[in-house]
Amino acid sequence: MDFATGQHAFAQALLHADAPLPLGLTGAGGAVDAARFAVYRNNVHVGLTRALAQRFGVTERLVGAEFFAGMARAYAQDHKPSSPLIIDYGDDFPDFIAGFEPAQTLPYLPDVARLEAAWTRAYHAADAAPLAFSRLAAFTPEALATLTLKPHPSATLLRSPYPAGAIWAAHQGTELADIEAWQPETVLVVRPEMAVNVHVLPASDGLFAALLFAGGTLGAAAEAALTEEPTFDFGAALVGLLTLSAFAGIHQGDVP
Amino acid sequence: MNRSTLALALAGSLATALAGAAFAAPLSPEKMAGNEKCYGVALKGQNDCAAGAGTTCAGTSTMDYQGNAWKAVPKGTCVTMKGGMHMGSLTPIKS
Repeated sequence: MDFATGQHAFAQALLHADAPLPLGLTGAGGAVDAARFAVYRNNVHVGLTRALAQRFGVTERLVGAEFFAGMARAYAQDHKPSSPLIIDYGDDFPDFIAGFEPAQTLPYLPDVARLEAAWTRAYHAADAAPLAFSRLAAFTPEALATLTLKPHPSATLLRSPYPAGAIWAAHQGTELADIEAWQPETVLVVRPEMAVNVHVLPASDGLFAALLFAGGTLGAAAEAALTEEPTFDFGAALVGLLTLSAFAGIHQGDVP
Repeated sequence: MNRSTLALALAGSLATALAGAAFAAPLSPEKMAGNEKCYGVALKGQNDCAAGAGTTCAGTSTMDYQGNAWKAVPKGTCVTMKGGMHMGSLTPIKS
């Protein structure tokens, strides 16, 4: 057996409880020792579940340590790291939670976890200068409507039917703060400079922001927002999003 | 509203908002502090504590990796969180 094959077999045995022990791995006396190898397996899995607990601290507080550990174990069973960076581990943990049967009583849990995943991504994202207001002033009205904006590399927009931002914020102190209003929230997570910012956008601007993040033009996003809410204020919404550093680039489409 | 009417309305709306904005560049978090109420509620987070797991090779004596026969109900702050019981009355937003 060459080294690569042996290494692969060792990794497989480490990651899967039902995989056979690596060939040739024995104790000093020459005997195969399954209990000793189980220590390695256990450490790998405990390491992964602890990485999840660190990244998803609010999620853990919401469900309690015991429940979280069980949920994380179930996830780690079938989801091994796809990146050598452990900080990336759990990117799809929120989706797993959404389909995790024992967590169905907490429908807001996946969105809170999504916010936490976005926070870590923002923290480690590339730096970029936010889009300046002055860049918008150069366009004619017709061109303005055709613009698409490039989200800041650290930015995630989360549209939740639950107060995901308020729940997250309530858990930032040691004491649990109250959730003032149980309502849908559109949350922007972005790191314009050194600190990650979490903002709850005005409800009337949620759709507009979501369409821009999805690559829609200013014109199309504004039209949809106005259809949903006739009092929607395009200028205030756009200037607001720029103030929060939601975008980093601008692209002009074809003027009709 | 036809296309050019919309374009003009948007441009006018933006001009008004830009005129009202007393700043020329996106704000730094420090400058944001006084502007939190202007747009988007800034939620206070604990810096760095959620930056993600580092590397640890700490072993464990607990056999956490034993079996999947696990049945539990969530019993963290979701039980005590004020307002958390109203979730059933919400209509999900259309996307």
